[in-house]
Amino acid sequence: MGGQLMAPRIVQNFRGGRAVIFAPDGGIVDVLDTTLNKLGISVERQRIPEGQSIVAMPALQVETDIIFVDGDLDVTACLNGHLTVLRSVPIIGLVGIETPGRLKALMNLGASALLRKPVHSGAIYTALFLGINSFMARRDLECQLEEHQRRRSRRRIVVKAIIILMQQGGLDDEEAYAQLRRDSMRARRSLEDYCEDYVNCRSTTTLDQSPTRIIAGP
Amino acid sequence: MFLAVGMVKNRFRVGLMFSTTGPYSIIADSMLNGALLALEEINRSGGEFNFDPVVVDPGGSLQNYSLHSAELLKSGVRHVIGCYTSSSRKEVIPCFEKYDGLLWYPSHYEGFESSTNVIYTGAAPNQHILPLIDHLVTNFGPHAFCIGSNYIWAWENNRILRETIMAQGGSVLAERYLAIGDTELDQMIDAILDARPSFVFSSLIGVSAYLFFRKFRAACLSRGIDQPNQIPVASCNLSEPELAEIGEDAVDGHLSSSVYFSSLRNNCNKAFVANYAKRFPDRPLTSADAEASYIAAKLLGAAVSTVKTDEVGAVKVAVAGRWFEAPQGHVMIDPATMHSHLTPRIGRSKRGATFDVIMEEKTPIPPDPYLVRSGPRYGAPSSRGHLWVAS
Repeated sequence: MGGQLMAPRIVQNFRGGRAVIFAPDGGIVDVLDTTLNKLGISVERQRIPEGQSIVAMPALQVETDIIFVDGDLDVTACLNGHLTVLRSVPIIGLVGIETPGRLKALMNLGASALLRKPVHSGAIYTALFLGINSFMARRDLECQLEEHQRRRSRRRIVVKAIIILMQQGGLDDEEAYAQLRRDSMRARRSLEDYCEDYVNCRSTTTLDQSPTRIIAGP
Repeated sequence: MFLAVGMVKNRFRVGLMFSTTGPYSIIADSMLNGALLALEEINRSGGEFNFDPVVVDPGGSLQNYSLHSAELLKSGVRHVIGCYTSSSRKEVIPCFEKYDGLLWYPSHYEGFESSTNVIYTGAAPNQHILPLIDHLVTNFGPHAFCIGSNYIWAWENNRILRETIMAQGGSVLAERYLAIGDTELDQMIDAILDARPSFVFSSLIGVSAYLFFRKFRAACLSRGIDQPNQIPVASCNLSEPELAEIGEDAVDGHLSSSVYFSSLRNNCNKAFVANYAKRFPDRPLTSADAEASYIAAKLLGAAVSTVKTDEVGAVKVAVAGRWFEAPQGHVMIDPATMHSHLTPRIGRSKRGATFDVIMEEKTPIPPDPYLVRSGPRYGAPSSRGHLWVAS
């Protein structure tokens, strides 16, 4: 059966979210806290001890958390060891020093929106909107890509099933493919899954005239 | 209170920036007058200071709004009551932030803003459009035709209406926009009559709106349609001075969502209506925007009276959380958002350029400018439909 490809719905209300902020204390980003609270988002500041390269990472809630990272920190070193978990939530970069190196570090971390320092309250909703929705769109595309690659890697099994059916049923390749598609849809399974079972178990198809026709695999 | 002989009162200049010429001059004139009345009342009250109003007219030009703001603030004015359209407010906010002035914005607007240099005394979207949608769907049906002046006020109101009404199983049959000041309305009216919606939701402003009401009523009459009952027009920006502009033939039966109507029967409003008419006999009708300007000036006066200075930081602290008895009832500036707690109402217009109040909240409602508490998490689904991967 085909997979549904629905674009993720746009999030426009961020109530109930939690912002985890990796930035030094100070006025340069303080406006973040008050504005995020106005938007219904709680704020958790992560302390960054002087001279330490590894920071603690709280347990992240994939559906509600947003990470803010100050790009002027040594981002890669600070968050080293957390990269896998960081991939699961939206990241908004805080840009101070506007050099390719700092911007690249934020991009590599997965930042999907940027906020210029000093942070301006009027820019925060926009950054959240872009950051969260771009992240969701990117995650959706990654899932689709993974699904397509998985299917592509299994096309060989489909070819095998077509050949078997051509040999057994005296069909040409078009007819055999159409038959397998039809049967996989009736069985509510993906073509690849259906063909795999068919090849492994030689499940009967609608061409077989047996009285108890088996559409799906065993 | 009596001042000692020889004691000089402090004088604070206050900018009043309204486009009293141009396409939305009627409502801007009403806003200017609301602020002037309040400042004059403060000056007569015998306090320790006087306000000197500095009146500027940008004439509806965005560029002039920027120029006037910069001139006022550079000359030492710290507080400006002004702006009607959101585009003008957006234009001047950077200037107020640069010079650390305070803009008192006295009009309903579409929300999604919370500048630290603005105090919002008009209604936020949860206080105007959301109550109106509920009323329209319940009483007239779920199929809307949206029209508006082509700028953010109409775009955003129509988005909120579309999302809310679709969630209730209704529909928006069409959205049509006109440039501010445009009066080419015939095609729009034909489209409405062809679509036969449950109601028209209008965010037209100024002369476009007044002419629309007249022409739409006439078009319905010529087709034997009882317009107010069969295709009512509802708006979040229709006030008494504008009813007078529409004229007696088409003035009745329109719905307006507002936090203030001149027909409210409390003593504070009776005094406001009477004093306003006496002070401005040429245009004697109060409006929601006049009241919001009046509230802004009165709150500024109360804050300066408390902190003895017009310094912006001190005034903001003094005004936040303070309840004030206004013509619409109790109002309060919310310390978190600097928007106002106000009382939503729905009025139905009638001859004499007034409204019958047909619905009102029992108490003031807290502002929710980002619709954090009142809006859905997700936007309306894309109209592009869903794709499926076929094997």
